[in-house]
Amino acid sequence: MDQESTKLIADAIIIAGKAIGAGFCMGIGAISPGIGEGNIGAHAMDSIARQPELANSITTRMLIADAVAETTGIYALLIAFLILFAL
Amino acid sequence: MPEKKRRRISKKTKIQLTVFLIVYVTIGIINVQYLPKSPSDILGNVANRWIVGTGPWYLRINPMTIIMSLVVLAVIIWFAISVHKEYSLIPTRKQAFAESLMDFVYDIVQSSIPDERFARSTFMIATTLFLYIVVSNLLGGVIPGISVDVTKTLAENGEIIRNVKFILFSDTWFAPTADLNTNLTYALMVLVISHYFGIKAKGFKAWLKSFIEPVPFLLPLNIIGELAKPISHSMRLFGNITGGGVLVLALSYFVKYMFLPPVLWGYFGIFSGLIQAFVFSTLTVAYISAQVG
Repeated sequence: MDQESTKLIADAIIIAGKAIGAGFCMGIGAISPGIGEGNIGAHAMDSIARQPELANSITTRMLIADAVAETTGIYALLIAFLILFAL
Repeated sequence: MPEKKRRRISKKTKIQLTVFLIVYVTIGIINVQYLPKSPSDILGNVANRWIVGTGPWYLRINPMTIIMSLVVLAVIIWFAISVHKEYSLIPTRKQAFAESLMDFVYDIVQSSIPDERFARSTFMIATTLFLYIVVSNLLGGVIPGISVDVTKTLAENGEIIRNVKFILFSDTWFAPTADLNTNLTYALMVLVISHYFGIKAKGFKAWLKSFIEPVPFLLPLNIIGELAKPISHSMRLFGNITGGGVLVLALSYFVKYMFLPPVLWGYFGIFSGLIQAFVFSTLTVAYISAQVG
């Protein structure tokens, strides 16, 4: 095999690795924030159904907790961007 | 005779909006020719935005962060002056808005820090951060504006060469919070302030002792736990705003930056941006109260 085709194949492998890595990073990284936010939403709904007069303050706190639970998903998104564009 | 229903939008506003729309569409159509032809041309350099320029470390700054920070400061100062001018006992709309905002933050601060000495300064820090982050997040995407494009190339001798180029109308306005340097500065500031307040409230010996609680064996874990605070504090805001910005950039390429950016920014800027700003200032209060209490 001559040098040019070796280089071509190496580039192709690098691009394939980037795409697969970013896909896995985002896909697996989105599982746990999804579960966490689902839990938060479910419990907030429960407590609103039990005490509808507290709906406003519960919604505010639910959104804050959502934003905190979302953090790991955001890290995964960042790493996916870095893999795709910066590596 | 029944009164006529009050018009929601006055005629002057309608004319202004129409003129704005016509100018927007005209510039947008002209701009289409100058946009890069493939999406990878735009997205390829996104990750190089945070380190811009060549030379020693203090020259490697992002010019857009500084420009937009000054714009944010100007907006906040303009708002403060316009509230102060018509300051009265019977509040106008702006004054009522400002007062209810301050009241809202002060309630949160007072419920978590009962000590009046620290509650006041914590309230000032939290409100300042909240206002700055809210304005910069909201400003981030309303108008298609300027952005920097940094191309990174390797020279023959292995040196990294960065070329900076300003582009008009290929991205939304750059939010200062989409630069990690801004967020990390504020997060580190909060860390230093919280420990300063901790020393002031508990005394130096008690503050040192708090690192070896509950057992001296846990000292490294406590130190790592303290150092991890600013990282997660800053990365959360940075990731949200940058991720939103890059998604808006990628999606609005397909309509050539005509109408999609403001619509998408309705979610990423207004909803997500407000929540993140609120979370940032709430966590500031929580970190300080953990040291003081």
